[in-house]
Amino acid sequence: MDQILRGQEVAEIAYMPVRHHSPACAYHVREMIREWEPDCILIEGPENANRLIPVMTHPDTRAPFAIYYSYRDRKGYVSEEKADYRCYYPFLDYSPELAALREAAARGIPARFIDLPYGEILTAVREGRGLRRGGEKNNYNDDYLLARSAYIQRLCEKTGARNFDELWEKYFEQNGLYEDRDTFIAHMLAYCGQARESTLVEELEQEGCLKREQCMAWHIREAAKTCRRILAVTGGFHTPGIRKLLEEGDVKLTLTGIPQKDQGVFLLPYSMEACASLNGYASGMPYPEFYQQIWDGIEAGREEPYREAVLNGLVAVGRMVRKEDGLLSSYDEICGFSMARGLAGLRNKREPGAYELYDSVLSSFVKGACDLSTDQPLRLLRDYLTGRRTGTLCAQAEVPPIIQDFEKQCKDFKLKTGSTLEQEVTLDIFASEKHRSVSMFLNQMVFLDTGFCRKKRGPDLQKRKDRNLIRETWRYKWNAQVLAALTDVSVYGATVREACAALVLRSLKEKTGGKEAAVLLTRVFEMGLEDQLELVYEQVYRALLEDGDFYSVAEALSYLVLLGEMGELYQSSMDVGGLILICIRKLTALLPGMAQVQEEQTQACMEACKTLYQLTGQEAYGQEREALCQAFLQIVNRQDGNPGLDGCVRGILYGAGIHSLDQIRGACAGYLTGTHEQLMKSASFFRGLFFTARDLVFIGDGLVGTMDQLIRRLDSQSFMALLPEFRMAFSYFTPREIDQIAGQAAALYGRKKKDLFALKEVTPAVYDYGRRLDQLAAGMLAEREDGK
Amino acid sequence: MTMNTEQQMKPPVEIRYREELEALKASDTGRRPLNWQLSPQAVRTFILGSDRPIPGKKGDVEITRKYYGNDMLVERCIVTLAGNRGLMLVGEPGTAKTMLSELLSAAISGVSTNTIQGTAGTTEDMIKYSWNYALLLDRGPSREALVPSPLYVGMEKGIITRFEEITRTPAEIQDSMISVMSDKVLNIPELGDEGLLFARPGFNVIGTANTRDKGVNEMSSALKRRFNFETVMPVRDVALEKQIIVQEVSKLAQENQIEMEVDEDVAELLASTYHELREGVSSYGHRIDRPAAVMSTAEAVSVFYQTMITGYYYDDGRISVDCMVQNLLGAVAKENRDDLEKVRGYFNTVIKDKSSREGGLWTRYYEARKWLR
Repeated sequence: MDQILRGQEVAEIAYMPVRHHSPACAYHVREMIREWEPDCILIEGPENANRLIPVMTHPDTRAPFAIYYSYRDRKGYVSEEKADYRCYYPFLDYSPELAALREAAARGIPARFIDLPYGEILTAVREGRGLRRGGEKNNYNDDYLLARSAYIQRLCEKTGARNFDELWEKYFEQNGLYEDRDTFIAHMLAYCGQARESTLVEELEQEGCLKREQCMAWHIREAAKTCRRILAVTGGFHTPGIRKLLEEGDVKLTLTGIPQKDQGVFLLPYSMEACASLNGYASGMPYPEFYQQIWDGIEAGREEPYREAVLNGLVAVGRMVRKEDGLLSSYDEICGFSMARGLAGLRNKREPGAYELYDSVLSSFVKGACDLSTDQPLRLLRDYLTGRRTGTLCAQAEVPPIIQDFEKQCKDFKLKTGSTLEQEVTLDIFASEKHRSVSMFLNQMVFLDTGFCRKKRGPDLQKRKDRNLIRETWRYKWNAQVLAALTDVSVYGATVREACAALVLRSLKEKTGGKEAAVLLTRVFEMGLEDQLELVYEQVYRALLEDGDFYSVAEALSYLVLLGEMGELYQSSMDVGGLILICIRKLTALLPGMAQVQEEQTQACMEACKTLYQLTGQEAYGQEREALCQAFLQIVNRQDGNPGLDGCVRGILYGAGIHSLDQIRGACAGYLTGTHEQLMKSASFFRGLFFTARDLVFIGDGLVGTMDQLIRRLDSQSFMALLPEFRMAFSYFTPREIDQIAGQAAALYGRKKKDLFALKEVTPAVYDYGRRLDQLAAGMLAEREDGK
Repeated sequence: MTMNTEQQMKPPVEIRYREELEALKASDTGRRPLNWQLSPQAVRTFILGSDRPIPGKKGDVEITRKYYGNDMLVERCIVTLAGNRGLMLVGEPGTAKTMLSELLSAAISGVSTNTIQGTAGTTEDMIKYSWNYALLLDRGPSREALVPSPLYVGMEKGIITRFEEITRTPAEIQDSMISVMSDKVLNIPELGDEGLLFARPGFNVIGTANTRDKGVNEMSSALKRRFNFETVMPVRDVALEKQIIVQEVSKLAQENQIEMEVDEDVAELLASTYHELREGVSSYGHRIDRPAAVMSTAEAVSVFYQTMITGYYYDDGRISVDCMVQNLLGAVAKENRDDLEKVRGYFNTVIKDKSSREGGLWTRYYEARKWLR
């Protein structure tokens, strides 16, 4: 056996090169252990996961599951950014590593992982390469190394395979299953050796392969000191490297010394969807469910597992298509199967495989030109081949406490987990205490960004809308990613609630703005983190004090007012009064500085003034009224202020009884009789005035007359320029009030209100002229069309 | 009426590639479906070419690749034809559906000419059979008086019947195929007891349909069920498109005895123009308005060939870019004036840019835009 190296030690080392997900590799690994009976099995995988092995091999643990590695780079070993890193190492029943672990456990053979711990791998990898590639999800599996070289592309062309995966299925999965082990290993080594040959050494270095291989070789050598027969199961790409190192005796292990406490490692249930390469999991094999069936077939000792899986696939997809629209006969399935077999024959394959299944569905099930309207069978096939299986862990699994908490709450609240179908639940949050609790929990899950649920309908405190709704409708969907997301935040707390509280505090420390703090407070409120309120309260208090931005504080104030109003409904004990008071004081202090506010911010500023005035009318904040009015007077006294704000504030002062009607009229006259530029500001002034004191129009006939004067003074160009502003000004009135104003205006010209609605008669001659004009135009258009 | 090959403008596939077919037949060891001239493997080799030459009567014969594009599709077509269902090739105009159908029939049955040309005027007797009325009147309904149409011939001889542009024929005429396709028997009531024609093994139907004709005469779902559909896509690779143009034009030139080398650079120009106008994006990433006209590789071949013969006969055997732009204009601006604007826009942005970046031929091409009127 050429793959056994007899060193100076008496140990025999057998190398088993594998692809990470492969039924044929898994089969050969298992058979090898059964026949060769090693006394130690070493497996590629970060060694800090060794303690998880008993759980992985427990009979109650069902694949797919994944080892989740996390690393917090506190000391900046990886990069100066001191970022958080994480990756997944998925296992399916037909992963050779898992097959080896299971067989080892069944026979009591010690087995362990021998790759660098995750954090160490990261230090060995160049930014953007290997495990440090960008993107959401990194996978430990590095089968992509086998699939990318130019050599493989050429090989595909030569053998007529459409891609690497088809090539692999034909030569390694199908043929490999029937080869004896030595031949299979020899083929694997030849192939992987070629793939490695065509990869540059620099690339190996940058992707951390060399350092990892050093570590694996070191472990094998160490094991050789105590064991006689060692089986090393490693990715085929690395096997030649490790062998060379051991043959040349050039093994040295250098570690950066990443602290253990910064590294997390957990086992997670995983889903087939997450394993499928089609879903962006670049290192996997496509069609996990298909190969799962192959593996099940091998386990059951079937003669032709592929043929059977293809037949099952055709029948299953046929049934799915019929369920959707019913236009597929059994004869289509028969034709599909004969197509699959015919193609396998034509392509010199032992049995039809996944690609023949695909081709046969395409040609026998898709009717008409293959496009979006007809390719439904293909889409169903893809779903079918991906599968919906999810894994489970045995009771002994060390589940992060936060997941335990999540599962317990789901159970308590009767939320369905274990199915990846979307569910809907409607909650009567104000009537039922239990429903309110469910809502809190769901809000917490949203806050943690787990992708578990989303609110479809219901009061939205963040957007300040739908406040009239009394029910919340939620949609939720369990999947493995939810658990992964929870595991990500498991460092922040042992329960969902704790993690939320910790994250709230963390973001409050980061955020300085009063508005953001108040929005966060609304979320705390929805999440029902009552016990955290005191801490949050303090932080919001500080954020408000430190915030010098008028608008931010004004926004915060409106959120706080909202919370104050809704508090009772949500049965919250939070007293936002203190915070509101802070806001009022802060805004009052900032107000005089706002006199010259920019045009586009006028509206926000006006609203803030109105809110402040209304609030200080309440008993609780009454003591602030005087200071506020002082601030308003300061604004009015500025002659160069924003006209809109000026009008708004004057309206308030009139309402407060500080300004008399005459004073207001005087101010209006000031704008009207002023220079042209001031005249142009008058519309804006009226808009502000009507915003806070529209009743002024109906007292006497003063204001309408004044406005009439204004409009008469304008030339048509200026009038057009002011028109939008006027429209805004009158938008604060109700239709009935508008009618009344129109009546007053008409009276100024000796007309009655009803005269305004009278239409002028059109003479038949004019009508006829119009009709002929219309016909002429239509004729010309048609002519042009024809000419074209 | 026979004529020798030199007299034929375009000899059928089985004659053009006679040598290759004979060599393949001689060396074919694979299992052959009944009445097939070649095994499925050899049919595949005939269409997709082979790496090494095959020994023939007069020395080794090289099997050229005749169809570019999707190899998997060709394999599916072959397997379909060996089975119980017909083969329907659908796709944009000019995607070599007809060529593929000819190649398949020639390789499988040795004949590619047993063809029904589907038009709006196609009638049932053009598909099945009609009568020689003189004989019919003289002897009454008999086999001698019957004039077989392609479907009849296919069934009788166990060969493939090709049905071109099937969706151009009225739906009720199309449907006359249904029972024949499923039962493989044709009923001729006029012949009485002897009026049943059972198809010999090897009979099958290859239909082609144009996706642009969609909705003209929609196929009934009953007929659809009797076919496996294959959608033929345009070539997606510029280099491949250029290769096809060069190869097809050389073949045409050779057949028409035009002794002129195909200018590969000009072919590349044309291939990239067609490719970019079809895909709506240039190799530099400009976004392009796609013309409504069909921008198929077959069109490109005809534009190039036109240009070449113009050069051959009127321009001392030199190919001119100006002439090519004129022909391009003729090919694109057929149905819609807007298309001309789009092509002009393409020249004013993409070709202009390429001319300034790469110069040479591209600049000449850009200058020829004056013909786009």
